[in-house]
Amino acid sequence: MTVQYEEIKSVKKAPDEEFYLPGHRTCAGCGPAIGYRLIAKAAGRNTIFIGPTGCMYVANTSYACGPWKVPWTHAQITNGGAVASGIEVAFKQLIKKGKIKDEFPNIIVMAGDGGSIDIGVQAASALFYRGHDVLFIMYDNESYANTGIQVSPMTPYGGNTTFTPPGPMIPEGKKLFPKDPMLIFAGGGHPAVKYAATASIGYPVDLMNKVRKGLAFEGPAFLHVHCPCPKGWTYPSDRTIDLAKLAVQTGMWFLYELEDGVRKWSRKVDKLRPVEDYLLGQGRFTHLEPEHVAKLQAWVNERAQVLGLNATLPPVH
Amino acid sequence: MTTKKRSTGLTAVCDAWQLVDIDVTASYPIRPYTAVMAEVAKRIANGQMKCEMVYAEGEHGQFSIAHGASMAGARATTGSSGVGLTYAAELYSPIAGGRCPIQVLVGDRTLDPPGDFGSEHTDCLTMRDNGWIFGWAQDAQEALDNSLMCFRIGEDPDIMLPQIVAMDGYFVTHITQDYEVPDQDLVDRFLPPFKPKFRLDVNNPVIMGPQITPEMGPPLEWDRNVVMQRAKGKIVEVTEEFGRLFGRHYAPFVEEYMTEGAEMVFLLQGAHAVTCKSAVKYLREAGYPVGMLRLRWVRPFPEEALQAIAAKFKVIGVIDTGTSYGAAGGGGVLLVETRASISETPDKPIVQGFTSGLGGEVITHDEFFRMAEMMRKTLEAGQLVQSSTWVNFNDYV
Repeated sequence: MTVQYEEIKSVKKAPDEEFYLPGHRTCAGCGPAIGYRLIAKAAGRNTIFIGPTGCMYVANTSYACGPWKVPWTHAQITNGGAVASGIEVAFKQLIKKGKIKDEFPNIIVMAGDGGSIDIGVQAASALFYRGHDVLFIMYDNESYANTGIQVSPMTPYGGNTTFTPPGPMIPEGKKLFPKDPMLIFAGGGHPAVKYAATASIGYPVDLMNKVRKGLAFEGPAFLHVHCPCPKGWTYPSDRTIDLAKLAVQTGMWFLYELEDGVRKWSRKVDKLRPVEDYLLGQGRFTHLEPEHVAKLQAWVNERAQVLGLNATLPPVH
Repeated sequence: MTTKKRSTGLTAVCDAWQLVDIDVTASYPIRPYTAVMAEVAKRIANGQMKCEMVYAEGEHGQFSIAHGASMAGARATTGSSGVGLTYAAELYSPIAGGRCPIQVLVGDRTLDPPGDFGSEHTDCLTMRDNGWIFGWAQDAQEALDNSLMCFRIGEDPDIMLPQIVAMDGYFVTHITQDYEVPDQDLVDRFLPPFKPKFRLDVNNPVIMGPQITPEMGPPLEWDRNVVMQRAKGKIVEVTEEFGRLFGRHYAPFVEEYMTEGAEMVFLLQGAHAVTCKSAVKYLREAGYPVGMLRLRWVRPFPEEALQAIAAKFKVIGVIDTGTSYGAAGGGGVLLVETRASISETPDKPIVQGFTSGLGGEVITHDEFFRMAEMMRKTLEAGQLVQSSTWVNFNDYV
């Protein structure tokens, strides 16, 4: 299925108007805040955001200084998908009955990794199953960041969080490998999902166009957006974009779309750089021994092969 | 034209929902409330009702969907029973605090364990302190009428609070009864369209449910508290108007039955009041100076209404069809609230507690007779013989 949407050709040609304004309390170099700004810009004026509890709730919505120029509502960390479902059916009914004169709005859930794939997974799955016309965006900073950096299912193997501190008994910190939300939400188990994509704040034009494309599809769409977090990952705040790009260059993040289940790579990658290039300079990985790095490299290589990335892979030492 | 109908309490509430043209409801199956959603689904399928019924992923989802719909400006409902109501526990405060006047139908049910379908009031009483307006209907007619009155009270711009229309599982939800379905015209006169002052609207953007600093929370909680108290006046006003318009006159808070000359009264809520009235008639014939008080609302709790009549009686026997383990007095929620309500009333009666009708059991005539005999012993002693009694477990007659 093809959809029509107004493509943004370059950063310079992106709309000037902002719908996520300055004045919030996010950290310097906050990846999710950069993501929010780009997403709001791409979606435009006729948009309603649902923000389940997470750092984009706590750091943004301080009473009377919320940064949104469009309607925004809180949802519990558990129920972004369900609240959005209720809003969607309400607009459809009220418009159908002539009780309101509104144009049907873009309805966007902005949920963190916990609110999407962990405690929020039931409500998200139900939204996708029922086929509501909602864009569900998972801004992924790979931890429960607003509570002080606790492990989430998206924390990479080897990540040091306050719940996975490395020590003599557990030298690698986090022992588990992350979930794959694209596979869970858009891997065929929710037939109503016709469009899903991964994106990264390191590639803003690609991200904005995926937002527009997801909104253009009728029914539910899913975006999984990689958003580095200086506080949680412990790196200098000016490295956010650099790390976002390095994640893609090393295969710690893959950029692709699933349209009607067919994978389309968003960037041509001939050769993946070794994962060390990404790990270096992030405090959360400084404790890793070569054997742990090798496990991560093996995981990246296996994912690249499973996803069918046609690129030269680094050796596993 | 008013239509006479013979059906269940659940169907009666569905009739109310059809009359008020709800926009959104959210379903999830759990006995015994489920049949109302089956009825809604049927009416949507045959074109009688124009609303969206969302198949929720659970009760937590049901409440969340209704909450979202209400924020968007829709008249939204849902319903549940037993552990379904406690599964949704997270959402009671956000919905009331967000001042979203959704309506929840409760066909009450025991909480697990054991897995029991029977009526008990514990399920939604457990959720009583979040700012929801609610009370029990004693029959199908009252269920329909309470639903209409709740929409009117809850959606009032001065109130804006969610409501629970509670009824005893099986006794009201499932027993076929005669009731009247009012005219559409009258309902339209009684209940204006739902037009919240704020909704999610791109032309008038608002932020709902923001994070606040500690000193900003208490004023909002104070407001919720003030509105809950204000709801009492609204209940009186709406109950009177309902009576004028529909010809069915309810006591706003406390129904009195054969209290003329009564020295002792049962105090209870819900369907067991029907059996109680019949038992009171027999007891009066047998010489017991007994009457009955039935509560129509537990939130807001009608303390002033009780204070106004308490001194007429010497003994009040509060019957709780639910549990509150470890509560003051060893009985249930109604015992605690009743004692608290009249604690400072001059010439206050002795208040004793009974726990009865648990697990969906009928409270039989025999049990009412025994409770009356225990109250008579209190009357004779002029003081409590036993603070509270689980009928059939530690009776003192």
